[in-house]
Amino acid sequence: MSVETVESSTGPTPRKGISILFGLTLLGLLLFLWLLLGFATNSFWTPNNISNLLRQGAMTAILAVGQTFVIITAGIDLSVGAVVGFTSVIVAWLLAAGVPLWLALIATLAIGVLIGAFHAFGIVRMGLPPFIITLATLTSLRGIGLLITNGSTISITNEAFTNFSRADFLGVPSLFWMVIVVAVPAYVFLHLSRFGRYLFAVGSNSEAARLSGVNVNRTIYLAYILSSTCAAFVGLLLASRIGIGNATQAEGWELQAIASSVIGGTSLFGAVGSVHGPLLGAFILATINNGANLMNVNSFWQRIITGLLIIVIVYFDQLRRRGER
Amino acid sequence: MIGLQEVGHRHEQRTPAGHPVPKGEPILELYSLRKNYGAVEALKPATMTFLSGEVHAIVGENGAGKSTLIKLLTGVIARTSGDVLWCGEPVQLATPNEAISRGINAVHQEVVLCPHLSVAANMFLGDEMNRRGLMRKRAMTDAAQGVLDDLGFNLPAGAVLGSLTIGQQQLVATARAAMRGTQFLIFDEPTAYLTRQESEQLFRLIRRLQSEGVTIVYISHRLEEVFELADRVSVLRDGTHVGTRAIGETNEAELIALMINRTIEQIYHKEHFTAGETLVETRGLTGPGFADVSLTVRAGEIVGLYGLIGAGRSEFALGLYGRHRLSAGEVFWQGRKVEIDSERKAMELGIALAPESRRDQGLCLNLPIGLNINLPVFRKLTRGLTINRAEEAANADRQIRDLKIKTPSRRVLASAMSGGNQQKIVIGKWLSHGAKLFIFDEPTVGVDVGTKAEIYRLFARLLEKGAGIILISSYLPEVYELSDRLHVFRQGRLVGSHGYHTASHEEVLAQAIGA
Ligand SMILES: Nc1ncnc2c1ncn2[C@@H]1O[C@H](COP(=O)(O)OP(=O)(O)OP(=O)(O)O)[C@@H](O)[C@H]1O
Ligand SMILES: [Mg+2]
Repeated sequence: MSVETVESSTGPTPRKGISILFGLTLLGLLLFLWLLLGFATNSFWTPNNISNLLRQGAMTAILAVGQTFVIITAGIDLSVGAVVGFTSVIVAWLLAAGVPLWLALIATLAIGVLIGAFHAFGIVRMGLPPFIITLATLTSLRGIGLLITNGSTISITNEAFTNFSRADFLGVPSLFWMVIVVAVPAYVFLHLSRFGRYLFAVGSNSEAARLSGVNVNRTIYLAYILSSTCAAFVGLLLASRIGIGNATQAEGWELQAIASSVIGGTSLFGAVGSVHGPLLGAFILATINNGANLMNVNSFWQRIITGLLIIVIVYFDQLRRRGER
Repeated sequence: MIGLQEVGHRHEQRTPAGHPVPKGEPILELYSLRKNYGAVEALKPATMTFLSGEVHAIVGENGAGKSTLIKLLTGVIARTSGDVLWCGEPVQLATPNEAISRGINAVHQEVVLCPHLSVAANMFLGDEMNRRGLMRKRAMTDAAQGVLDDLGFNLPAGAVLGSLTIGQQQLVATARAAMRGTQFLIFDEPTAYLTRQESEQLFRLIRRLQSEGVTIVYISHRLEEVFELADRVSVLRDGTHVGTRAIGETNEAELIALMINRTIEQIYHKEHFTAGETLVETRGLTGPGFADVSLTVRAGEIVGLYGLIGAGRSEFALGLYGRHRLSAGEVFWQGRKVEIDSERKAMELGIALAPESRRDQGLCLNLPIGLNINLPVFRKLTRGLTINRAEEAANADRQIRDLKIKTPSRRVLASAMSGGNQQKIVIGKWLSHGAKLFIFDEPTVGVDVGTKAEIYRLFARLLEKGAGIILISSYLPEVYELSDRLHVFRQGRLVGSHGYHTASHEEVLAQAIGA
């Protein structure tokens, strides 16, 4: 009610209104799924399952936020899943070598920064398409990780580290708190700071952005570094959750992240996206998987349903956009 | 009856009944044709008739609905309501293909071709010559070259389209339309990016098509062209068709009054200020596309750069602005030697550039108007970590108001604006930046008369505040009337310099062409 009065008093505000509306539709969809699963199963609304769901969704959500920065610049980061696996190896390896925990965490995140900087270097200096350079790191990082571990896994004995992912804070899993730790600064960055505006401008028309004084190269560095750092962060969370470092973990998570982002309204053509969209997208995907597990749906069917859902949601998003014109 | 001449591979066009429409009879009739974009009434119910074989001009302010009308007739967008009769028969015109197959073609305001394909491939796009499923590339290039030469356009058919200037691309689009078995050809501001010479070529083509029985619709903001070419002229104002006149029974003043509902005494508003300190001086500046350019700009003066398209003026501007690397020469900013090696550096010194192509260089089309306007000044709008949203909004709204950008809100996407209004956004971007030297590259392309006058007044206000202006224009009257110093470029070199009104139009033109 009050929202409407504000809207009409400031005149037509089509874009913002619609983006909020779309966010609400996604939120509605998520709540609808939760209600539905509540009726369909008796184990969905158990504290255990909800914690589980929040943990499952958390990691994809963080990856999806980082991925969204890249997609807004009209790029793509296919390496995030490999970075998660790789950094889980790195942190396990460092801890096994007796490096203090705080240093291992910082060093692992720094590796994420380096990987992102390497992507941006390939794109900006070597002129490689984002798809190619990140595809290349996807395979090579898995390779390097396997070399380091000799094809096996490294167990993590540091209890403080592994207990973290199982801990709750104020009744909510600590992994979910990490989503908030990432999402709040991400929101400030993308929607409130000038760098966020620059990401959109570069994704829309990089020449116009450059002639307007935007440092296009730096903006691209920023986007890829943020994406890889988010992935390294998820690598830490994953290592903590499963208690090992394994280079083959997180297979296909890059596609989950891209799907979450796109379900959340991000346009693969660039210049359209938000922070709340991919978060909702990630939890919608997590809910579908969780619900399918509870209802004993064959995991092959889960994949098919996820695929169909992506088509349906993005199709409706397209329709909405076309209606705007 | 004048038979249709073979240009390219023109098909014979006939009415549904099989007879060509006789000259002077209605060929296309619109009844209450209407288009709404959401809540925007782009075209209010319009009833108009186009007669076979005439040149029918359409004029009106930016956002009056001219391009909308054209897009309706060519099947690019769907109408909200109304009827269209083609040769007396009702038609849907639902798709571009339907329009083309009926013989209705258009050269749109923004060139919509494929920049990565060759000129020939673009001309034959959707209508390729095939032999056993394979494209006959060579034959198409030859045929395309034949058509271009025949039309008198000096353009290579084998070149990649994107390597040509916008004006040249416009000519390619024109050639493409001319060879497509056209009975009804619409030009939406074709001369906006053309030099006088290229415009002459275009006019010859239009007259020739007319003599072959083609009906022409001609949209332009340049009234002298309308009087030169048209038989009849229709005026749109705010989406309403306010009248149609035979060209002999009207004059510029009446058309302007119909268009903007008021009168303008002086379009080229010029105030002379005493020139102040030297802002920028270039000595022997050389870079990609220009060589050995030496000129100075002082506070309070407009320095005009005139030349044919491709003469190196825009390249010079981009070089000075740090977009392209300079290979020789020096730049002095307020007497101090500087190296401008990035756009940021140029901006920090106090240089602003409103570039030539609003689509490729000027605007982020799928972003809101407000973001576009504020893009150069986000640094100034930042308080601590975040942008001050109130200032951001206020700055955007101020430019929208000052420049009379016709939009319901700053949140509308730039792509939803008419061509002239997009141009105003490009200019508006720089007005709050506080620059000392403004480089305006073709600032009034596609801008209506009323707004043009506003922009020239704005120039005067900038000069008054102590700024200097480099004005690049291919439209001679504009640079001629406004420039305190006028430099003529030819093939990347500065070939002549004149004071205010010290040379005649003919002398300037001769220097530009190299005659
Ligand atoms: N895609 C769109 N979505 C929403 N509104 C639009 C869109 N395209 C045009 N409009 C609006 O329709 C109106 C008419 O636009 P149109 O492009 O027909 O103007 P025009 O007469 O060609 O102007 P100009 O001389 O500037 O080219 C304008 O108010 C414009 O903002
Ligand atoms: Mg137009």
